[in-house]
Parts: sequence; structure tokens; C-alpha cells
Amino acid sequence: MKNFLLACLLTGSAFTLFTPVAFAQQSGMPIPGQEPVLTSICMTCHGAYGQGNPVVGGPRLAGMQAWYLKNQLESFRNGWRGMEKDYLPAYEMRETASALTETDINQLMVMLEAWDAEPAPDTITGDVSKGAELYQQCVACHGADAMGNELLAAPALAGQNDWYLLSQLKLFKSGYRGSHPEDIFGLRMQVVLPLLNNEQDMQDVLAYINSID
Amino acid sequence: MTEKVTRREILNLIGAAGGSAAVLGASAALGLMPNSAAASIPQLKPLDPANRKSVAILGAGISGLTAAYELSKAGYDCIVLEASHRPGGRNMTVRSGDIIDEVGNRQVCEFDDEPHMYFNAGPARLPSTHRNILHYCKELGVELEVFINESKEAYVQDDNMFGGKPIKNAMFTTNARGFMAEVLAKNFTRQELDQPFTEWEAERILGMVRSFGDLNSANEFRGSSRAGYADIDGGYLAHGIQKEMVSFRELLKSSYVNRLLNANEGETGPILFQPVGGMDKIITGFVKTMPERVYYNAIVTAVELGDDSVNIAYRYKGMENSIKADYCLNCIPTHLMSGITHNFPRDYTDAMLYVRRGEAYKSAFQAKERFWEKEDIYGGISWVNQPIRQIWYPPHGMFKEKGVILSSYDFGGGMHFTRLSQEERIEAAISQGEKVHADYRKYVEKGITIAWNRMNHMLGCAARWQRGAVMTSDEEKLMHTLRSPAANRHYFIGDQVTLHAGWQESAIVSALWSVNDLHNRAIGNSAGINPAPLV
Repeated sequence: MKNFLLACLLTGSAFTLFTPVAFAQQSGMPIPGQEPVLTSICMTCHGAYGQGNPVVGGPRLAGMQAWYLKNQLESFRNGWRGMEKDYLPAYEMRETASALTETDINQLMVMLEAWDAEPAPDTITGDVSKGAELYQQCVACHGADAMGNELLAAPALAGQNDWYLLSQLKLFKSGYRGSHPEDIFGLRMQVVLPLLNNEQDMQDVLAYINSID
Repeated sequence: MTEKVTRREILNLIGAAGGSAAVLGASAALGLMPNSAAASIPQLKPLDPANRKSVAILGAGISGLTAAYELSKAGYDCIVLEASHRPGGRNMTVRSGDIIDEVGNRQVCEFDDEPHMYFNAGPARLPSTHRNILHYCKELGVELEVFINESKEAYVQDDNMFGGKPIKNAMFTTNARGFMAEVLAKNFTRQELDQPFTEWEAERILGMVRSFGDLNSANEFRGSSRAGYADIDGGYLAHGIQKEMVSFRELLKSSYVNRLLNANEGETGPILFQPVGGMDKIITGFVKTMPERVYYNAIVTAVELGDDSVNIAYRYKGMENSIKADYCLNCIPTHLMSGITHNFPRDYTDAMLYVRRGEAYKSAFQAKERFWEKEDIYGGISWVNQPIRQIWYPPHGMFKEKGVILSSYDFGGGMHFTRLSQEERIEAAISQGEKVHADYRKYVEKGITIAWNRMNHMLGCAARWQRGAVMTSDEEKLMHTLRSPAANRHYFIGDQVTLHAGWQESAIVSALWSVNDLHNRAIGNSAGINPAPLV
């Protein structure tokens, strides 16, 4: 989908604009699962093709596993995530998730399937070999390839925006995320978090994850 | 007898005593004022019909509409793609039934459906010096009325001063000026003043100081009727009872001593206007001239710079569409453009990542009764040293039953209200408003809030380029990068690429600069291309 524009150009199906009236009749392909309200709600923060937007703090959705995205929308709706008013993106997400209907969410899953899951650009550097050691604590759930494990409700880390993963590690560490007694999957992260002593450790482990994309 | 001093020295001296208005008057007399100039509307020579050019304009804010209007007049094929359900961007007037599309907090305005019951949630004031926007008001037939920014009858409230009891602005300013004038008069002895000035001039200066603070003949401030009379009927059939002076030490407890006396200087110094019926009358004025060119709910998903065109992909009515245009004028906020697929040059992308989102916040109530009119207020602002900062009283709809009152305006630097729920925002506005008007809660209803940082398709108010107290030359270079055309055919426009973000005039000036540059390129007039903006 992201390459739609390119595809149009290559196949010569792009239009040259002459008059707005002629322009109004031009259209390309239908958008899978497209519902104007959904495009309008998600894309402003998460990018036009779900590729994420670091400037507004919206993580990449393209490439995110559908089951994980559903889980997290539930977490937001349940108030397990996004209660921290000093981390505004999550706080906004909680309110947005609460306003979604079941139909919205199902349509979102259709759109998710259609997006290209290109790895997000790397923005964090660190000590990759130290990160590799630290990552051994993560392997059991997130996998050696960092592609996640649905049975353990552990999401893929590879390809996700590293700045977003860093912000989430910090939220777990400070207890904002993964502390609600009913959030059993989130609580598991609290078990391993003490192994990441500081931000440098977090950056090292993220540098390692970047290296295995 | 007198020493010759330079013009600048005289200005500095007068400035020290009389404030900026005094400097303005003197410098006009001395020929230092800029020449009066017309608005900077370019007169574009219409395109040769054999040489048609198309322009895709992304965003129907004030800059996008200005550009579309001027380019259409010059014979360009223009299309405006607007992501939202409405045009205007931050030029937004809220009336009965309107949607406030805040992410996670969608509201529907429930004000009474009457022409005067509106709220300008974005820009609300047009200074008389903003010639370009006034030009368009005139050209588009947008009727203007005077906006009242300051009323001495409005209040100043600070918990640190008078135990939190509000005082009239007149009381505050009269006493502050009286004290300042007395200090000035006592310390500027004749001998000192005689040095640079003649005796006649020295007398003049003392006279000015006396008049500034309403001092008596002994150069003492002993209160002034400028603060109003203690009895409302005073001064007509019977002598008025002058209000007691207030202790200047009490005023000093409030930080308003540092920021209230200049409240109506600078940008809000000139006469201010507002369109009759709402600020968005300017937007409807533009759109009326080209309704077929503006597409709503048209969400741009990709911008690709080609060798001889700009290719735009967008979603519209459930379809993925694309258009190819000769040029693109882009007023999408740079922080949202970062989430849209593009092939911009690296320096463009770096500059886009630098800009921070603005945070301004406004809220309003419908008042069941125009209670402020009973307190001699018919416009202006009450200053409140609380998160709400200001209460604005509508200058329009005078004597009608109800009115719309601005209940808070946090003009930046804080996300206090944005982080609150709708219910918390409303309650905070009421309880803080009660510090100024004791019966406030009784009168206000149907509150609306606009947190610009979270408004869908904008996610920010005026772009913030400065990380420090002043803009660095590096920051200015980054802005210059975005203002300059990429691939000779893509321009960022809007107040976001000006040094004076947050005013509609800036958006228009930016649009006109780009339109002029684009036109010169389109007609192959490289000599006429705008020089690079100064850095």
C-alpha cells in the first residue's frame, strides 16, 4: 500500500491535474477496511500507513501483530495503560481507544494486514555485544529473532521504532506500565526489568535488537 | 547653554520616562519611522492559457486558502486537499452543533443557535497593522467590527494580592503608574534634567511624568479619579468620593506588576478587529470564491517530489487516489508530515524533526446572563493568576440575554489543561473563574474546551522553533530550509515557517512569498525569484 504511489507512476495510472472537476472523478483502488473515521482517528498520530511518527510519539502499527494490537487496545480501554498523565501519548491513546467501537477495531485489523511492514529506521545506538548479553533475559518470551510469541503474549520487538521501545521500557521501569494486578502479561515484564539497571542498559539492548532486524 | 545630544540619546531618555508610545511619537517627528507601505499582495501576471500549470495545496488553513485564491486568480489549476471535515485550520469559530474534533475528546457545541453565540477558538484578534489580512477582509467582503482587548473595568486577580480579592484593572494600573511617576519626579531633579535639556524641556518632562501618574502639584501621588469613584453616582450632581489609594507594596506581591502595564502594547497595541459573526467569516469568504477546489476529509498519505512534478497520494471517500501537479504548497504541520510518506531531501527532514508542537489551550462557556455588563464590563480581559490566566468578555451581542465568555486561555508553555479530562477542565475553569466573579458557577453552562495540542489533523498550535530564550542562527537556518522550495516545486507554507508564528498575518505573508516565488519560476522569470530570506 505504501508503494501505491510508485505503482501508479510505474504503470502510468497517475493523473495529471487539469481542472478540479476532472480531478474529482479520479480515484484509484479501494482502501481495505477503510472507514473514513478510522483513517481520521489513527493516522494523525501513527502515520499515513501506520509507519509511526516520532515527532508526535505515535509508534509504528504496520508490522505489529494483530493479536498484540488487540491486546493493547484492550489494555488501554481497561485503564491498565495510559493512566500516566505525564506521558501524554499513552494518556491520549487511552481516551482514543475507549472511543473505538468493535467494528472500528475489526476494520483496523484489516487495514493492518494491508500495510507494508518495513522495519522502522534505527535511531538508537549502544553497545551491541553488551546488549546481546542483556537480551538473553528477553529471549524466552520475545524469541531469539525478536519476532515475539503469541502464546506468551510477547510482541515482536524487531522492526518496531526503537525510540518507542525505549519509552515503554522506561514506563515499565517506573511502574506506569505493567503494574495493574489484572494486567497479567504486563506484570511479567516487571520480573525482568530489574535486569536493566539504567537507560544505558536499555539503549544497549535496543541497539542489539536493531542489529537483528 | 545646552549640550547637543544625539537623536538616539534623546529617544532613550524619553523612552525611559514615557514608554514606547512616547518613542513612537518622537521618532515619527525625527523621520525614523518606516515609510507607510501597502499590503504585500503580489500582482501576478496571469499565466498564458497555453502554458497551464497545476498546484496541489495541502491544507485549507489560512495560508493554503490564500495561496489557492491568488494562484487561481492568476490562472493556475488549484486543488486544496483538507484532512479535516472543515476548512480553516486553527481559524476556528465554534457555534451550536459544531464538532470539536479533539483526539480522544470529541465534543459537540451546545450553545444557543444565535448569530452572536460563537467562540473564536483559535485566532480572535486582527491588529490594524496586519495589512495583508485586512486587505483580504476588504476584498472578500468580510465585515469587521472593533474588538475590545482591554477594559479598565475588568479585573486583576492574584491570590498573593489583597488576599485574593479581585480589583479593577483601573485600580491596579492607576496606583502602579502613580507610584512610578512619583518616584520618577522625585529623583529627576531639575539639575539633572538641565544637563541634556533646556529648562523648558525639563518642565515638559516633569509635566509628562505628572500626567502619566496623575501627581499633584507637589509631585506626589495621592490617589486619582482615574481609578473610578467609590460611589457610582459620584462626580455628576455631587462631588465623587475618590477611592482610597492602595498600598503599592500590596501590588508588588503580584507578578502582574511585571506584566500588566504592557498588556496593550506591541501586537495588541493597535486597534484590534474581529469579523462580525466569527473569525471563520474570513475562511468562508475565501472558500466562497472557489468551493469546487476544496476537498474535505481528503487525507494526504504520500508526497513524492519528481523531476518535473509533485505526486500526491491521498485518501478520499474510501479510495486511495493520486494526483500529479506541477507544484505543491504544503501547510500540513511539519510534525504530521513526519508521519506521511515522502522523499524530501535530508536537510528538509532534519528541519521537520526539530520543530516542536505548540500547546495553546482555550475554553468557553455560554453565560445564561451577561453578568459582566452589571459590573460595567463590555469587553476586555480579566487577568487571573491561575491556570486559566484570562477571562474574555465578548464585545459583541451587547445587552442581549446571553453571551459566550472565554473562560481560559493558556497561550503556551504549559499542558496543564490538556492533561485534564473534559470534566476536570470544566470544573477548573468554573472554580478559578469564581475567584473573579463570585456567582460565576450560577451563570455559566455548556462549556467547550479546545486543546490545540490534541486537535485532530493538527496536533499543535503555533510551531515552536526556539529551544532557548532567543532563536539561534542555526534554528533560523532550519526554518529557512523548510521555507525554501525543495526540488524547485515544493514549498512549506503557513505561520509555521515564519518568525512570528501564531498570527494569521504570518500565514498570509508566508503564502504570498511562496506564491510569488512559484509564479516567477512558472513563467521562467528566474531574475524575479525571491531572494533567499535573510538568515
